[in-house]
Amino acid sequence: MDVSVIVDNFPFLIVQGLLGLGGFVGGTLRLAIPAIVLGFALGVVLGVARLARARWVRGPATAYIELFRGVPLVMVIFWMWFVLPQLLQRPIPEYSVALAAFVIFEAAYFAEIVRAGIQSVPRGQVEAATAVGLTRAQSLRLVVLPQAIRSMIPSLVTQMIVLFKDTSLASIIGYVDLTKAAQIVNNREIRPFELYLFIAVVYWLCTYAMSLVARRFERTPA
Amino acid sequence: MTRVSWLLLGALLTVATAAPAFGETTLEKLNRTGALTIGTRTGSPPFAFVNKQNEWVGFAIDLVEQAVKPALERKIGKPLKVEKKESTPPTRIPLLSSNAVDLIAGTMTHTRTRAESVDFSITYFVTGAQFLVKKGSPLKSIQDIAGKRIATQQGATNARILRERVPTAQLREFPDQPAAFQALVQGQVDAYTNDGIQLAGLQAKAPNPNDWEIVGDFYSYEPYGFAMRKNESDFRHLVDVGLMEAIESGKYFELYDKWFGPKGEVPYPLSPENRRFLQLQVVPR
Amino acid sequence: MNDQFEWSVLWSGQSGQWLLSGLLTTLRLSALAWVLAAILGVAAGALRTAPVRPLRILATAYVEFFRNVPLLVWMFFWYFGVPPLLPRPAQDWLFAHGAEFWAAVCALGVYHGARMSEVIRSGIRAIPRTQLEAAVATGLTTLQAYRLVILPIALRLIVPPATSESLNLLKNSSVALTISVAELTFQTRQIETYTARAIEALTAGTLIYLGLCVSIATVMGWVERRVAIPGLIAPGR
Repeated sequence: MDVSVIVDNFPFLIVQGLLGLGGFVGGTLRLAIPAIVLGFALGVVLGVARLARARWVRGPATAYIELFRGVPLVMVIFWMWFVLPQLLQRPIPEYSVALAAFVIFEAAYFAEIVRAGIQSVPRGQVEAATAVGLTRAQSLRLVVLPQAIRSMIPSLVTQMIVLFKDTSLASIIGYVDLTKAAQIVNNREIRPFELYLFIAVVYWLCTYAMSLVARRFERTPA
Repeated sequence: MTRVSWLLLGALLTVATAAPAFGETTLEKLNRTGALTIGTRTGSPPFAFVNKQNEWVGFAIDLVEQAVKPALERKIGKPLKVEKKESTPPTRIPLLSSNAVDLIAGTMTHTRTRAESVDFSITYFVTGAQFLVKKGSPLKSIQDIAGKRIATQQGATNARILRERVPTAQLREFPDQPAAFQALVQGQVDAYTNDGIQLAGLQAKAPNPNDWEIVGDFYSYEPYGFAMRKNESDFRHLVDVGLMEAIESGKYFELYDKWFGPKGEVPYPLSPENRRFLQLQVVPR
Repeated sequence: MNDQFEWSVLWSGQSGQWLLSGLLTTLRLSALAWVLAAILGVAAGALRTAPVRPLRILATAYVEFFRNVPLLVWMFFWYFGVPPLLPRPAQDWLFAHGAEFWAAVCALGVYHGARMSEVIRSGIRAIPRTQLEAAVATGLTTLQAYRLVILPIALRLIVPPATSESLNLLKNSSVALTISVAELTFQTRQIETYTARAIEALTAGTLIYLGLCVSIATVMGWVERRVAIPGLIAPGR
């Protein structure tokens, strides 16, 4: 065990790898935070669309979800990276490719969680909402979603944590996140144990903070 | 819904294959953008790696900056800047074909199979595969590896040769060098094989370099070249001219000394044969 | 660049054989890891909602510890970290009998067990507390109430997210290539190495994963409709 490799490379690992400030395009947080927000927003839309009555809404939403749940994220990143420049006729920065890939991919998973949450709300609730004169949209917004979101918090947080850690896959297109930064240092210093242990601790701290925040939400009744 | 998913994927594939090719040649692109984009490694010292100061440097990068770039600048008549992107064995050929990079400058061996998909410059470095073992190991060369567990690097050409020549060797392929080395340290494998120069780099960086030795003659021939998109002979010619001029003027050997000399990142003296080989590649003006 | 595609590399030479062996390894690895994950997930998920405090703490610690660290790190841990703790003969035996495969099964199974337990906890939480109270009031013990009332309902509610999670496990099995397991993604890279045809190899990999996942999702969709509980918002009416 030799901690000097961590001490010497601490700025590179944290400032470049975790935050994304420095000479390389990268940063775990810089990618994960927008990806979580946008992915969840798209996921709610898709999850609700999948339960819609109209076939032309339900069909495409279902196809989207099944398609993206069916392919590994690495493949989605790689495809976007290769296909997008051909479609748009110009090179696309790694950051945009990575963000787009994560939002598109993770939305499919968020959508399934949202769907399960909505389905766990007893139907009597919708019927009651309709009976008191709410429209479908109102009953969804005011009655179903608030209850659904509460019951799906654990799965939702798990998925956010997954997304947070999945950002390490962006390294395949040369995005220097925390994992990639550790690999770069490791290739130079050959200190796998110290480096991987260190990034495990950093990931753990970030994600544990996420679970703690989530637990507070779970306790507060919606 | 299954059918819809398949249709979507089919559409995606069609788009990918039917999208119009970029109409521009590489030289036209350089002229328009003023930038040469290279795909290179972040973890292959001393060819291309991120150093302690977190700068992206190396022998291959220096060759591009100091040999290839001047030749290209002379031709298009304006200064170029070199932009670097990471390329790895699975991504380097798609990177070229999608126009994301113009030149692969890493540790790519020029092979006939690869030359069906991309074009190569003249050879800028020659090495061959050997074995890294614990000092005193009975394993001394490719003759001794039958039935042994051998670590290799994924995407390298050596695994293929071993599989053909010693089918009984048990290969374990790792995506990166540190993982393969760790497997060797723990005794999960009996030897790690890669290009001799890569092993030398690894040994030099290992916590206890004297515990390890590099054994065996080269059992493969690994000439490194810069890769480019196919069928752009004017661009390839300029890359070659840049390298030839650097060999002719001695610039190449200066850079070699900087990275592989006694004080370099990985000391690795240039053999007289290899020096001669490099010089023989230089065709007359 | 589009005239360059050459799909025949996928069935000429050894490619077909490699893809098949990679597929089989992926399936074997995922199936074993899934069994492990399901056992750990149900146990930890139920324990996390249990009325006994030490059990809850134990289960919570397991989940928080394992799911919050990237799978890649766990792969290295089980492959490089665990064997040196074993006695020498056991180590030698393991190294000679596919240590990397068993390390990958442990890494995937334990990691996904932690994630699976959160899915199951979500399901249990979705059941009103009164159900448990009613079950206990009819004379069932807590254990019986869990086994006969809570888990059967929860397991049905969680079919969609649990399917997602299982598909995740299948796809995450590709991380095993970092410790030299010759699974599907590894084999597609192998084809790339031999033929220098990256896009073709990648497409083959994508299609095989997609085929597997879509089949599983289709089967689970059918299961979901079969076991749906009347009275809750039903799927796709």
